[in-house]
Amino acid sequence: MRVCVLYSGGKDSNLALYKAYQEFEVVCLVTLIPRSEESFLFHYPNVNLVKLQAEALNIPLVMEDTPDDEAGSIEALRYVLKKAREKYGVEGVVTGAIRSTYQASRFQRVCWDLKLWCFNPLWLKDEISLLREVLELGFEVIFTRVAGYPLRKSLLGRRLDHDIIGFFERIRRFVNPSGEGGEYETLVLDMPLFRRRIKILDYDVVGEDYDATLIVRRAELIEK
Amino acid sequence: MILVVSCCRHRFSEEEFVKPITSIMEKLGISYEIRRYYEELRFNGYSGVIICGTALMDSDYLNYVDNFRILTGYDGKVLGICAGYRILAKLYGGMLENIRKIGVYPVRTVRENPLVHSDSFQAYFLHIYALRKLNRYMELIALQDDEACIFKVVGREFYGVSFHPEVLNEEIIVNFLQL
Repeated sequence: MRVCVLYSGGKDSNLALYKAYQEFEVVCLVTLIPRSEESFLFHYPNVNLVKLQAEALNIPLVMEDTPDDEAGSIEALRYVLKKAREKYGVEGVVTGAIRSTYQASRFQRVCWDLKLWCFNPLWLKDEISLLREVLELGFEVIFTRVAGYPLRKSLLGRRLDHDIIGFFERIRRFVNPSGEGGEYETLVLDMPLFRRRIKILDYDVVGEDYDATLIVRRAELIEK
Repeated sequence: MILVVSCCRHRFSEEEFVKPITSIMEKLGISYEIRRYYEELRFNGYSGVIICGTALMDSDYLNYVDNFRILTGYDGKVLGICAGYRILAKLYGGMLENIRKIGVYPVRTVRENPLVHSDSFQAYFLHIYALRKLNRYMELIALQDDEACIFKVVGREFYGVSFHPEVLNEEIIVNFLQL
């Protein structure tokens, strides 16, 4: 089956891509670019870096701007999936949804309307186990946004490692360890399907202690 | 030992529709075996059967409903989830109607039963067919709007659940396993 992956460049969409790659022909990545971090459905920081990631993966990328409101986001998703179906013959869509019935039901509705299969390989998986799986597979993941106590600004730019997973395990009663609710965002610099890895050359950190974003100003692909 | 029947045409869908069910059993220390809908199915010897759901686009399992016919002679307990609900409905002559329901909706319990102990709750639905009317072989347990979202086969411990209890209502699966 020819599938596309809803791709934000973070750890979940990359893990979903990795799993889909073992089963199907991944013919393109689909990325929606929200106007701001208020988006209901899609991740915001550094979403422009997906161009570099797609290049590292050697997989075509279909991008589309999306308004932040729910109706506009869904319409943009419908439009971009139609485009992916027409251009690449996509028959199915793979997402990185884990537990959000809000996200999942909206993706499912759009897929059904377009008669596309919908696959959610991370669905209901234990979030801590997923973080460990990402590390075990050799993903290099950095934090690019924190949004709420007790996630401090100092987390930005840090690599996901076993210490941080232990921290998430200790605070899981207060913070969703996957960050699916927007508690934090990540960027994947390297993973097994990347032919080259991303090197960040310049970045800024903006915001307050528990509400801050790392914005990559310049990055390039280097040999692994 | 519980028999878990996968209705997924693509193994990849099992991550979404079968693994969450088997994870619950693993947490409870309950052993299970997985079989696929297109295989020859034998139910005797198992203490219960769970027939799992599948993707909205997937209806291949409906070509294999005959594989499930011997279930009507099975003495144990059966939980049919989504696709499993459709299979149970077909085995007992239910008239499935085209009802597209995707998302979280309120459910009202109308009959005392061992699976659900609250009068109302929220559940995650992902289906395009369900029952509005039940025949004499089925009794109504719970309603979502005018949809019979949980039914029981009269005289049997067979339950059809049109929504996905593994998402927001794990206790339904736990209660079934403890029957």
